[in-house]
Amino acid sequence: MVELFHVWKQYQKPFWALSDISLSVKKGEFCFITGPSGSGKSTLLKLLYREVLPTEGQIIIGGKNILRLTNHKIYTLRRHMGIVFQDFRLMFHKRVFDNVAIALRVQGTPLRDMKRRAFIALRMVNLQHKIWDYPTSLSYGEQQRVAIARAIVNTPRLLLADEPTGNLDPQLAHDIFGLFREINKQGTTVVICTHDKELVRRFGGRVLTLHEGKLQGKDSL
Amino acid sequence: MREAAHNLWKFKARHAFALAIIGLSFVILGVFLALANNLRFRARELGRDLTVVFYLHKDRPAAEREFVVDEIRRSPLVESVRVVSPEIASKKFAEDFPDLREVVINLDANPFPPAVEVTFEDPALPTATIVSFIAEVKKNAAVEDAQFNRDWAERVRSLGRLAEVVGLFLGGILILASFVIVSNVIKLIVMSRRSEIEILRFVGATNLFIRIPFLLEGAILGVAGSLLSLLLVFVLIKLFPLIAGPSLGAFHEILGFRFLSWSQAIALVLGGGAVGLVGSLSSLARFLRS
Repeated sequence: MVELFHVWKQYQKPFWALSDISLSVKKGEFCFITGPSGSGKSTLLKLLYREVLPTEGQIIIGGKNILRLTNHKIYTLRRHMGIVFQDFRLMFHKRVFDNVAIALRVQGTPLRDMKRRAFIALRMVNLQHKIWDYPTSLSYGEQQRVAIARAIVNTPRLLLADEPTGNLDPQLAHDIFGLFREINKQGTTVVICTHDKELVRRFGGRVLTLHEGKLQGKDSL
Repeated sequence: MREAAHNLWKFKARHAFALAIIGLSFVILGVFLALANNLRFRARELGRDLTVVFYLHKDRPAAEREFVVDEIRRSPLVESVRVVSPEIASKKFAEDFPDLREVVINLDANPFPPAVEVTFEDPALPTATIVSFIAEVKKNAAVEDAQFNRDWAERVRSLGRLAEVVGLFLGGILILASFVIVSNVIKLIVMSRRSEIEILRFVGATNLFIRIPFLLEGAILGVAGSLLSLLLVFVLIKLFPLIAGPSLGAFHEILGFRFLSWSQAIALVLGGGAVGLVGSLSSLARFLRS
């Protein structure tokens, strides 16, 4: 599903955010990327959804070299992905339905279909009863669940989560990770960046460890 | 469209400012175009009625003046002759320029000479023929001066052209300013919605999907601004003669106070839409590239 070949990333000389990263994530895998702050976890994720370009190296997702995509074509990659951020990134002036359905609206999905699929996605995160509320009336945990519903509403092949529980208390974080496990069971490849070792240990799955931009241990190719 | 309407309402203060600038730019243009229209119309009217006015010396004997009138009447070129006495001329002046009535009344003597207004049979008579006729009549000692309305028509036409050029120049400068204003207003709105635009990009929106609401917003702003300017020009044209009152006098006849033609009004509206659209495009282009 995801392959990185000798990827390097440098924002500012002489420091390398990522150094010679080669890894592979199989289809349907549940994978953690861990490491201390500044180890390059977020940078790695940003490369996967083409927010930034690597200084060197190749990235293949779903059999396509994503570095060959022009800026105008990046949307074709992101329509098959779900992305969850630490700060949720919701539109607070729009209702929960609009926040979730936006991922379908950009693809021209008819309204009736949007409503049905948004409801299903919210039901999966147990928030279907709040579909017409505004995010400001939701708790942090509920807001993150709305963000997850948005990420899964178009049935993505790949779900990327960048510190999704960074702003949540341990119980909520546990619930969120549980959701990711459920999503993974339905066939979506899940890659989560987190520094929460306790949750990684509790939920299991493949673990890729980064330290100062380098992949540690035998999980590297 | 719904998104654009929502943005227009949400950022109404900023949009109102841009609307006012666009409206003002097009008002200036509209006023000068209306003025040019009216002057051109008047010039056409003047040119249609071919008239020459001969002014006669007051101090020449009446018989000489009558001889001139008879000579003019006998010409095969002439359709009609109207003699305007100094008293009639003074009365007409007071009617046309009421503010100056007191000036005329307080003079010791009537300053207006007797005049003969000549209308020609053929409105398409060549200028050279008329000039020749005038020269012939002016040989009479009783004739002091002659005024040919085609000269006036050409002068009024020139004024109309000047008004058009000035309007386009001033309007053009203001339209450029309004383009910059619209561009910056849209830029501010785009910046304030940066996080929302990022979300759209993360969920796979194309650049066009992101652009369309802002482009519509700009176009609507531009069209609304120019419609506002048309309304203001209309009100100005109707109010001006009421406010200026009788002091306008003969200028009321010259100016006419007609509104813009349909093609000019449509061009203004489309121009406003274009200003808004291009302003939006330019502000979006840089943002989306980054």
